[in-house]
Amino acid sequence: MDANALIQSIAQSSDRQAFVKLFDHFAPRVKALLMRQGTPADLAEELAQETLLMVWRKAALFDPTRAGASTWIAAIARNLRIDAARREKRSRLPDVFDILQGEEPEQPDQVFDGSERDSRVRAALTSLSPDQLRVVQLAFMEGLSHQDVAKRLSIPLGTVKSRLRLAMARMRGSLEDLR
Amino acid sequence: MSHRPSGETLAAFAAGRLDEGLALVVAAHVEINPRTRQDLAELDALSGAFLDTIEPEPMGVDARSLSMALPHRVEDVPARPAAPPDAAGLAVLAPYALGRWQSVGRGVALRRVDVPNSEARVFMLRAQPGTRLPAHRHTGAEWTTIVAGAYQHEYGRYAAGDFDEADDRHAHTPVVDPREGCTCIVALTGTVRFEGMIGRLLQPFVRL
Repeated sequence: MDANALIQSIAQSSDRQAFVKLFDHFAPRVKALLMRQGTPADLAEELAQETLLMVWRKAALFDPTRAGASTWIAAIARNLRIDAARREKRSRLPDVFDILQGEEPEQPDQVFDGSERDSRVRAALTSLSPDQLRVVQLAFMEGLSHQDVAKRLSIPLGTVKSRLRLAMARMRGSLEDLR
Repeated sequence: MSHRPSGETLAAFAAGRLDEGLALVVAAHVEINPRTRQDLAELDALSGAFLDTIEPEPMGVDARSLSMALPHRVEDVPARPAAPPDAAGLAVLAPYALGRWQSVGRGVALRRVDVPNSEARVFMLRAQPGTRLPAHRHTGAEWTTIVAGAYQHEYGRYAAGDFDEADDRHAHTPVVDPREGCTCIVALTGTVRFEGMIGRLLQPFVRL
């Protein structure tokens, strides 16, 4: 499945079949991602549907040179989760994230393809041990403090910090020329 | 040397776990600072990578029937929202209402940023060149993004694009750059306590 092409097909011709393919692939994963981040199953189901509806509506905004499809969709899911968590008061933070994602890179020599960055990050993750991966997931994807990561995994704070340090050193190694 | 948010702070921001007021000050820094913008893109790529490797959860709805109900038109690309006038060009302030600039003592003006969901008070601060702010400490966090100009205090010099993450362990006496002055955006949790005679006199008026 070429997710980039499917999104572009929605943008160009409101392609409903492309939507079905994207939904079947991504909605169950977005739901799983949201559940990992502590969203209850029924809300995660609802937000996963909303995320894919947003992909339909915002397909014209998708720019594969900035980020790959998975990264873009994960960011949409994050914004909807923030909004849902504060639904009564309607957070404006999702708009702020949209503004930041619309930012163009500044210097031409810093421009690299967002999809390339995505695949490098993916490759870097595979070099981690399961223990390191779990710590990276909690600290970076779920945004827990180091203290909370230690509590969640019932390991000492020092162990969290050293695992993160090792994991980042490994990842930095494979991402070096991107920064 | 450039001052940027800690990895822990940026990760909490990327995951949407920060208080909205504190997050807005980080967002202002991300908007200005290209290096942090790259770090944020990398963190987002990390989420994308997890999305690809995660064990899927079955959905209760059928995509085909959902696709019948889709609105016909997809959205056009919206123009980037214009920064509110006089917000020193910060686009991330566009979703928020801004108060009027008010003078809060010699050489210092302040305007409130209305962040309804926040535990923090958020404001923009503009100080004339050479202003010495009264020594103070905090009971909570004081996060600052410098938008223009610079200031200096016990922990270093902070210039446009820098991020200053102070908490209750830091007491500081900022001195504003003598040539450029300084404009920044600040989020405060807890209370500010001014120290010394002038600070105590000022306290009831400044009410930060």
